[in-house]
Amino acid sequence: MRVALAEDGALFREGLLLLLEAAGHEVVGCTADGDALVRLLAEQPADIAVLDIRMPPEPDGGLVTAERLRAAHPAMGLLFLSHYAETHYLMRILEIGTEAIGYRLKEKVGSVDVLTDTLDRIAAGEIVIEPVLAKRLVERPRGDRKEVVDQLSPRELDVLRLMAEGRSNNGIAGQLFVTPKAVEKHIANIFAKFGLQEEGSEHHRRVLAVLTYLRSQRAARS
Amino acid sequence: MPASSAGDPPAAAGPAHADGPPAAASPRPSRFEREHWQRRLRLQRQLHDGASLRISALVPQLGVVRNRVPAAHRDLDASIEGLQDQLHTVLQELREIARAIYPPLLDEAGLGPALRECAERAEVPVRVDVAPGRYGAAVEGAAYFAVADCLAALLPGSPPVLVTARRDGDELVVALSGVPTRLAAGVRDHVGGLGGQVRADGGPDTGTIEARIPCA
Repeated sequence: MRVALAEDGALFREGLLLLLEAAGHEVVGCTADGDALVRLLAEQPADIAVLDIRMPPEPDGGLVTAERLRAAHPAMGLLFLSHYAETHYLMRILEIGTEAIGYRLKEKVGSVDVLTDTLDRIAAGEIVIEPVLAKRLVERPRGDRKEVVDQLSPRELDVLRLMAEGRSNNGIAGQLFVTPKAVEKHIANIFAKFGLQEEGSEHHRRVLAVLTYLRSQRAARS
Repeated sequence: MPASSAGDPPAAAGPAHADGPPAAASPRPSRFEREHWQRRLRLQRQLHDGASLRISALVPQLGVVRNRVPAAHRDLDASIEGLQDQLHTVLQELREIARAIYPPLLDEAGLGPALRECAERAEVPVRVDVAPGRYGAAVEGAAYFAVADCLAALLPGSPPVLVTARRDGDELVVALSGVPTRLAAGVRDHVGGLGGQVRADGGPDTGTIEARIPCA
């Protein structure tokens, strides 16, 4: 895969560069800030841009840069690596896009396997969310829409949590030791309870289910 | 570093608040408070920019080492993975410490996002209604920890709480509704040094605590 990287911490940037190369990816460029990355990608094609959230242009250059990249190269995947996994940033990331996008902690993509799995899923169009954050969001429902979430069975909640992490049906089935058919049934129930049966494509409904959930939390909290 | 300079104009460095409201009658403790919060903010940033970044950078480097371990040495691979997991645990602990010193989200995004994140961790349902706006490191720090300590003091199963914050003239007004009024003393401890006034109303278990903190 062709990957471009923007990160202002030199030590982490070098480490990640080596790991990307060890994983067999082609690093088309490495910059210390967002503006340089935008210039680089105007000339160089890439499949995925990896961005730090907190980098120049200050204060959260990664988000501003990602908006520009998504507008200029809609097919390019975006992976945010950050020192903090916060709902606040997840919401801003989901406003940039809900396909081919990811948000993970810097130290959680520290092996060839995990890094490649994360990049593959983003390249396949999925949303990848740091599991610790997805788990926190799904396990601690709050406020007005709590009733909607309470209607879900524990199993459906497990499925929704894994959906929020961006897992495919097969991925969810593997994690829960059930058949993909059973997962489909749970997802159909979640769609029904969230009132999403009529909405567009399967992928679209999935994203809406996760967003309905996440946004209802945000609405309840803001 | 926008947050550190935004709310603390140079005037705050000297005791030149003679034109302030009655609360400014003791400018010395107020200045001390402001420096205290600036110091906490700097410590938190130092923790992030120093130790945390260095430890984060070790993880991909170990990943590269791990990738060079021959397939025959599965135990070595597992040991390195174990080291990486431990580094993650160390970083999580440093994040908790950073949050306790001065929440990075408060520094970067302000009172609203930081209080929402805090509400997410509370044992009790909390609604947060905070208007956008920045008030400087000291006022934001004092307001945040006043609310955070109140929320932390609530027992699981307590009724829902509403937290609001808005600017009213030269003051930041922070209010907690649905909390025991005895918690007002703790709120006063946090905001008193900045000239903040605290009032408690209503029943002992589900009252309202309102703090007005000068922020001009």
